[in-house]
Amino acid sequence: MVKLKLKNMDKGAKLRIGLLILALILPLMPFVSNYILHIVILIYLYMILSLGLNIVPGFNGLLDLGYVGFYGIGAYTSGLLTYHFGLSYWIIIPLAFINGAIWGILLGAPTLRLTGDYFAIVTFGFSELVVLFLSNEIWLTRGPLGLPGIDVVSIDLSLFGGPKWEFIGEIPYYYLAIIMVLITLFVMNRIQDSRLGRAWFAIRDDEVAAVSCGINLLTYKVIAFAISAAFGAVGGSFFARWVTFLSPDMFKFWESFLILCMIVLGGMGNIWGVMIGAFVLVSLSEVLREILPLLGLPVQGRFLAFGFIMVIMMRYRPAGLLPIRAVAAQMKAGRVKRKKTKVSVGIKA
Amino acid sequence: MKPILEIKKLFKNFGGLEALKDINFKINVGDIVGLIGPNGAGKTTLFNCVAGIEKPTEGEIIFKNNGRTSSISGKKPEIVTALGIARTFQNIRLFDNLTVSDNVKIGRHCRTRSNFFGAVLQSKFQREEEKAITESSNHFLEFVGLKGRGKEIASSMPYGDQRRLEIARALATEPDLLMLDEPAAGMNPMESRNLMDLMRRIRDKGTTILLIEHDMKVVMGVCERVMVVNHGEWLAEGEPKMVQNDPKVIEAYLGTGAANATQAG
Repeated sequence: MVKLKLKNMDKGAKLRIGLLILALILPLMPFVSNYILHIVILIYLYMILSLGLNIVPGFNGLLDLGYVGFYGIGAYTSGLLTYHFGLSYWIIIPLAFINGAIWGILLGAPTLRLTGDYFAIVTFGFSELVVLFLSNEIWLTRGPLGLPGIDVVSIDLSLFGGPKWEFIGEIPYYYLAIIMVLITLFVMNRIQDSRLGRAWFAIRDDEVAAVSCGINLLTYKVIAFAISAAFGAVGGSFFARWVTFLSPDMFKFWESFLILCMIVLGGMGNIWGVMIGAFVLVSLSEVLREILPLLGLPVQGRFLAFGFIMVIMMRYRPAGLLPIRAVAAQMKAGRVKRKKTKVSVGIKA
Repeated sequence: MKPILEIKKLFKNFGGLEALKDINFKINVGDIVGLIGPNGAGKTTLFNCVAGIEKPTEGEIIFKNNGRTSSISGKKPEIVTALGIARTFQNIRLFDNLTVSDNVKIGRHCRTRSNFFGAVLQSKFQREEEKAITESSNHFLEFVGLKGRGKEIASSMPYGDQRRLEIARALATEPDLLMLDEPAAGMNPMESRNLMDLMRRIRDKGTTILLIEHDMKVVMGVCERVMVVNHGEWLAEGEPKMVQNDPKVIEAYLGTGAANATQAG
């Protein structure tokens, strides 16, 4: 049996297990309303999304401004398959994953040859294309009318003579979201310490050195883009079956930008950091939504607050709240390099 | 003597600039060959052409190892590495944010195979491969004298150690030909003696070395043969002592007057 040896674990592991237990018992707390649960599920959803996006800018060092396109593709894949064919969510998850990955490859294979800003512009264009497609192809998506009345998630055991449970209220979704976050985290954690993850980090740190180690840049970037897109699509598939209504304007560029802010705020490239980023920005957004009207300010003022936070972060902690290990080590040693240039290494001698 | 690398009629133009003009040479298996020349002579361009980072304008580069003959001119760098040519860089190019051992492990990339599914499911194959990667990266770190320093961050190491780490990473690709671009630059005499010793040990393991170096003590101390280029053209070739006294070479480095002076003296 699994025996948790609390004594032998380091602080970080204890903290993680503590947080997990807290997350598991949260819905049982007396003060937790449906509203709070809804927000926490939103946090989990954005954790999945930011973990997925993190692969491209965080692990590979490529700016991706079109992540929401894959989120939208996943959401509509889920919504349409449910709407027209009544497919079970458990079949939709892998289908959304695959569909996301396919679009990731279709977009990535021709465009990942571009470098830096040019690639970012293409991804931006792609996400706009997705929104335009969703709004204009009315025969498929019903356009701006949106896709209402998507079935909720259910566990159907009637094939085996069992009962059928429908997910009603927030609590079942809450636990489903936790499971999905844990799976995403598990996958990211394993990739991070693998040959694939190391190849990505190599590309991020120095492309010329990476090819000299035998890494095919295009292949590994496309793999990264596909996996990132696949997780975005899985996040979207959950979103569709959770809110049971989709419309194209849910997938505007602002969403991409928000997710990007989460990973920058949390610490690009650090999977724990980007989860903290998702937590901070989603909860802040909700808190401000409550507070701003009380102060007589418009609700949209919270975007202003986000912008302000990002400026402060860039000034004082550009590597994020929880930076990747190397940067953290340098900060500890008091040698923060605000902007690292390759040349400086050569001149140091 | 079997050649490992043969370059025939190699030209490289950058627009109107002729960086390499009609370069021809052979390197034999097990040699340590020095490539020298004044700054801007085209040495690094030649390296880049062999390593696949630059595409030669014209000419042939033939690489022979394991009983295979491959024409590598214009091939992609990752393919050249997989064939068995590794290199280091003039301005150290390490993966700065990664640990020392991860840097060497990335060198193992082209000799290993596990993929996304292996990583996520941790198949038996993947676990064994990962174990082998760790073992061999420790081996290469020990070989260059960085044993037990695997957990340090690459960019936080002293300069000389970064140079050695770069060599370890190149060795991790199991090359038959190792190209070192100014490995002794910025090293103190003690460090460059260690470096020379390291180069001999690498050669004794069966790896041929092609070396760009400005530190003449290193070149004279370790190379069996020296080739000189100037303005992208072949200038001289031969034993270190011979090349050192060649008036053409002295002229290239010090100017015409100096060449005359040495001849007169």
